[in-house]
Amino acid sequence: MEITLMQGIGLAIMAIIVGVDFWLEGFFIFRPIIVSTLTGLILGDVQLGLITGGITELAFAGLTPAGGTQPPNPVLAGVMSTVIAYTTMTEATAAMALALPFSFLMQYIILFCYSTFSFFMKGADQAAAEADTAKIVKINITCTAIIALLYGLVVFLCTFVAQDAMKTFVEVLPAWLTHGFEVAGGILPAVGFAMLLKVMLKAEFIPYLLIGFVIACFLDFSNLLPIAVVGVALALFVYNIEKNMKTGKAVQNIAEEEEEDGI
Amino acid sequence: MASDNKKVLDKKDINRLAFDSIFLQAGFNYERMQACGFLGAQLPALKKIYKDDKEGLSAAMTDNLEFINTHPNLVGFLMGLLISMEESKADRGIIKGLKVALFAPLAGIGDAIFWFTLLPIVAGICSSMAMEGSVLGPIIFFLVYLAIFAMRWFWTHLGYNLGVKAVAQITDISEVLSKAATVLGCTVIGGLIASYVSINVQTQIVVNEAKTVALQADFFDKIFPNILSIGYVFLMYYFLKKKKVSPVVLIIVTFVLAIVLSFFGIL
Repeated sequence: MEITLMQGIGLAIMAIIVGVDFWLEGFFIFRPIIVSTLTGLILGDVQLGLITGGITELAFAGLTPAGGTQPPNPVLAGVMSTVIAYTTMTEATAAMALALPFSFLMQYIILFCYSTFSFFMKGADQAAAEADTAKIVKINITCTAIIALLYGLVVFLCTFVAQDAMKTFVEVLPAWLTHGFEVAGGILPAVGFAMLLKVMLKAEFIPYLLIGFVIACFLDFSNLLPIAVVGVALALFVYNIEKNMKTGKAVQNIAEEEEEDGI
Repeated sequence: MASDNKKVLDKKDINRLAFDSIFLQAGFNYERMQACGFLGAQLPALKKIYKDDKEGLSAAMTDNLEFINTHPNLVGFLMGLLISMEESKADRGIIKGLKVALFAPLAGIGDAIFWFTLLPIVAGICSSMAMEGSVLGPIIFFLVYLAIFAMRWFWTHLGYNLGVKAVAQITDISEVLSKAATVLGCTVIGGLIASYVSINVQTQIVVNEAKTVALQADFFDKIFPNILSIGYVFLMYYFLKKKKVSPVVLIIVTFVLAIVLSFFGIL
């Protein structure tokens, strides 16, 4: 079955809404189970949407953005598995597999945005220096709007205009380029940490940085809670020593004053 | 720092903060991750706190624009806590130290709860219902996540109330506390560098037919794990602090370097 222009537009609008939700991780309507159902609704075949959505959701439940890695895009997986099942009458599982290239395409686009949006931070720093709150809001809106437009555009192109051409495009993308985006994503936080250290790191704090680093290197654990606990221990240690020094001084001062009074 | 304990925020402001926490990832990027959204969500409250004090507002904005990556569903707790500190004009060092110390553990807890536990369970149940053609599948899925979203109000008020109570006791020893908070912050940053910055060299040197040396596994990892990560952070730090290079230049160089090295198969 063919996708009509109205359906293409409907899918694009839906993609903009769930795409923004994916970006913000707000209501989780970007998960395939919801996206496919909505796609089915727009195409007039809710049952198909439910079945492809269920299958795609199960396949994507293990692919999470936790820990900073970007998984194949769940929105495009949800839309395209249903659209492919609808247009080509393929089985839901096969449709899900055929939807994967589109899912990768959107993943690469998002990775590219993650890297390039770093350039907005210069303006944000400036805004902070000038206490210009409106500019911060504007940057947030701009980033989100770019993502929204990309979702609308990609879904419209993939569903209505040129499904085959888009697929070919993904297949000819060289691996080094897409891998390069991932590599950049792995290294770019270094610049962020360096900015953080620029303001926080005085020579006296270097030992604590090293302690945290070494523990994290050798501790095979899923989150940083143990390091935070070590941090709390060190902080309490410093706190007690400094506080004693202060109160010690105060006691000494009083003693000295009393002595002076005595004389 | 003068600590006037005048409360300027009311329940409505905290409710708004809880909702605005949805914008956490609005300006997401790899350099500072959620920083821009994290600041954006707090702006209405910060504006109310600092009013005409441009310098104070600017300092708060600058601090909140530092690297942060935490869990969207739990971030309200952190925002509420920090806003209560801002409201009582606590020492900037305490606010900054607490923020840096808390965001990563909160992210870890959130990932463990929401991504690794809740999603597989909810998705599993709802998917099986959907595959049988029941529309209840997606509806239940949506309701569960709506409830999780509603929890943001609870987290934000919890953080705020906790902060208000804590702040009342810490104002007189703020200098010492600020130092302790920075110690905590720096310890966690050390851990963050090891877990967030990843540089994996793919190059292998063929010695002879029987032996190839993988640079990452046999060389760098044998010297010290993550040695390239911390090395690169300090290289960036050196350029930023000593050479006054703009972060934009460093981002471009890093990005181009990543693509080029990927092209040659080195990274």
